[in-house]
Amino acid sequence: MRTVFSQYAWLAPLFPLAAFVVLTELNRSLKRTGAFIAIVASLASLALSLLIAFERIGTGAEDYSGGFAWLTIGSVTLSAGFEVTNLTALMLVIVSLVAFLVNLYSLGYMRDDERKSVFYAYLSLFACSMLGLVLADNLLLLYIGWELVGVCSFLLIGFWFHKPEARAAAKKAFIVTRVGDLGLLIAILLLFRYMPGHALDFVSLHNVFDSQAGVISTSITTAIALLLFLGAVGKSGQFPLHVWLPDAMEGPTPVSALIHAATMVAAGVFLVARTYDIFEASAVALDTVAYIGAFTALLAATAALKQNDIKRVLAYSTVSQLGYMMLALGSGSWTAAVFHLFTHAFFKALLFLGAGNVIHALHTQDLRQMGGLGRRMKTTAWTFGAGVLALSGVPPLAGFWSKDAVLAAAFERHPLLFAAGIVTACFTALYMARLFILAFWGRPRGDAALAARAKEAPAVMTAPLLVLAALSVAAGFVQTPFGSWLGAWLSGEAIPEQAESVPVMAASAAAGLLGLYLGWLLYGKGAPKGGGAGQTRPWPWLVRLIEREYYLNEAYGYLFVKPLQGLGRALRLFDGAVVGGAGRLAAGAVQALGRLNSRLLSGQLQTYGLAAVIAAVVLMLAIAGRRF
Amino acid sequence: MSMLASYLTLAAVLFCIGLYGVLTKRNAVVVLLCIELMLGAVNLNLIAFAKYGVVPSLAGQIFSLFAITVAAAEAAVGIAVLIVLYRSRATVNVDEYDRLGR
Amino acid sequence: MFPFNLNPTGEFFAFFALAVCAITGAVMALSLAKVVHTALSLAFTFVSLAGLFILLGAEFVAFVQVLIYVGAVTILMIFGIMMTKHRDEERERGRPLLETLAAVFCLCLFGILFFAIRSAGFPVPETALPADNTTEIGTLLFTKYAVPFELVSVLLTAAFIGAVALAKREEEPA
Repeated sequence: MRTVFSQYAWLAPLFPLAAFVVLTELNRSLKRTGAFIAIVASLASLALSLLIAFERIGTGAEDYSGGFAWLTIGSVTLSAGFEVTNLTALMLVIVSLVAFLVNLYSLGYMRDDERKSVFYAYLSLFACSMLGLVLADNLLLLYIGWELVGVCSFLLIGFWFHKPEARAAAKKAFIVTRVGDLGLLIAILLLFRYMPGHALDFVSLHNVFDSQAGVISTSITTAIALLLFLGAVGKSGQFPLHVWLPDAMEGPTPVSALIHAATMVAAGVFLVARTYDIFEASAVALDTVAYIGAFTALLAATAALKQNDIKRVLAYSTVSQLGYMMLALGSGSWTAAVFHLFTHAFFKALLFLGAGNVIHALHTQDLRQMGGLGRRMKTTAWTFGAGVLALSGVPPLAGFWSKDAVLAAAFERHPLLFAAGIVTACFTALYMARLFILAFWGRPRGDAALAARAKEAPAVMTAPLLVLAALSVAAGFVQTPFGSWLGAWLSGEAIPEQAESVPVMAASAAAGLLGLYLGWLLYGKGAPKGGGAGQTRPWPWLVRLIEREYYLNEAYGYLFVKPLQGLGRALRLFDGAVVGGAGRLAAGAVQALGRLNSRLLSGQLQTYGLAAVIAAVVLMLAIAGRRF
Repeated sequence: MSMLASYLTLAAVLFCIGLYGVLTKRNAVVVLLCIELMLGAVNLNLIAFAKYGVVPSLAGQIFSLFAITVAAAEAAVGIAVLIVLYRSRATVNVDEYDRLGR
Repeated sequence: MFPFNLNPTGEFFAFFALAVCAITGAVMALSLAKVVHTALSLAFTFVSLAGLFILLGAEFVAFVQVLIYVGAVTILMIFGIMMTKHRDEERERGRPLLETLAAVFCLCLFGILFFAIRSAGFPVPETALPADNTTEIGTLLFTKYAVPFELVSVLLTAAFIGAVALAKREEEPA
């Protein structure tokens, strides 16, 4: 069937780009209407994405790609173009939907901010870059989008740049992800070097790595796959480069929801899924992806247990869930990963926006200052609860089905991976229960006056929550073990019913429920009246270890930052003493020469004459004197 | 031989005296005169060579005639320039003609 | 090292006397304070040079020397002196560094020249100049050296016109 809307997919990133340009140009004069421009642009993108997606559903539409030759260097032609596959169509919907909802939400959240139109400009630029990244038909364009979303992330984390923490977090995010980006760049360069015809587009990649095995040697393939994965590790906050993501919570909460939960951090997963043929060609790379993912999931889930900042809990939860996606990718089921990405985008955006409502009401992010909000903020509490249940994997919410798909894939791969997944699921439910109970149950623990005044957020902030909550509840049914419609649609292959995964399902559900129950025991029922803090616990060192996020930041500080700073200082000394010294010496010498010259060139003709005579005599002595 | 050497030595003495005058005298007129003296010393050389050179020839004398002519022209132009300079700077001191250095 | 093989001929004595006159005039010119005295002293040197030219058998050049140097250049210089104001009374500020350096290097130059003159072997000329060289010069100027002669005349004309044009500016409004 011919596709109509897919031909116009390239318009999707252009709407937000236009909004960005308009907002940047007319920053001053658009204090009020700026937000609406961005919202309309994102709505246009959403509409187009939905049209593309619905057009493709059920029709078995051909992949559509279009583009043009961008640069011709010698015999090599770099093309720029877009490609619409079922995967990109799905990503388009996720990105533009969350972007639209976050744009809408920010109308309330950022209402009183001085630089609201700047904020919307950044958001629009981000939407444009992310949609461009998704639509790119080759790795080079993807890389451009990749870097652009990195820039937007940097700008938005540091949006409140008057806070030193925000500045530091923005710098940290930018620098840490740079490590991964370098890997991606090297991978692209390697592909450029080894691919026949220097092709970088995904169709050629698919052809080469899928059907023409042996064109590129196994070791090179492994290297490329691992470097690509390094890029994904940086972007998606996988161990050991996850440290930037919790700090990135210094940005405005809608940004956290859009960029650091739903879309940008999922770009790493998307990258691996998009170039999955390369990973499939290298068992080592797949194993690395799986084990890194599993380890990250477990590590982040435990770290989330003892965070007191509501957004940091969610950030570690994001890291953990991204680890799940990586686990699925490494276990050989990229459709499960994309499915989890799909559901996670909704419930994590929901949780962040809900947390945003709480922060908006209480002006604090500290869980120890919260409590009892459930009565005052009913909509938020209910939707947040739906998100918690979805993330915890309670059937039949979305998170359950996607987590189950991931766990089923892990189960087939290796029992160890499965075990890590199950334990993580339990911890996930535990920390989410803790978060929900501390925030919404019990009595206010913080400023009583402030808590008394806390009221539900305006409709513009709760409407996105309702939409997301509905999706969090229902989105899982697109793929169940009894009918994996999404997986079939994505991969284009019929996937048999997986009846044997019923035990996995049961284990997953049990783990989630167990976690929730433990959480209720620890923080709801069993908590002392004074709140959860301040009591003695077994294994204080373990608690402390978790509380300090495994001392990874400190370790990096000593391992990388301090030596680099030392190197920097040494280099600065070198620069000052040797390079600068040489410069100063040269400058001084020239200056001295100039001063001498200006003394000599006084305009006194007789001095000049004398100099000429002296020179003549010296020349004569030098030339004639040699003969004697 | 000895006569030629004597003439040349005399010319060298006069040349060096003229050079010293050119380099040290403040008054521009004196400087111009010293230049004439140096030219005169050169003419003496030319004429001495015309008589005592390896091939005695009138070419030396004719050269010195040309040199004298050019010296006259130079003196005329020099004095004219000097007068113009004097009008604008109200001085004939060479060390005050230091526009070149600014 | 450089033996002066002096043979006390008439030419030598004449040369010696004229050389002493010339050097005295030159040295006086440098040491006299008044500019007019300097000019006159140099005129004396030029006359001595003319005498030397006669000694060298260049009567025509000597004549031209007297005519131009003594008659024209010196007078021109005296005109120049008269047309400009001179603060002769004012003692010249010393420029010891410049003067010392100039003296040292002029002496050096003289030393080099003297050394060169003394160490060069000049062969004795085989032929002598024609006695009636004024006629010869005239012939040569209008035959062999006709073109340079004309060029020099053009140069002289140009220089004089230029000099007049330069000095005449006064009349124009400033």
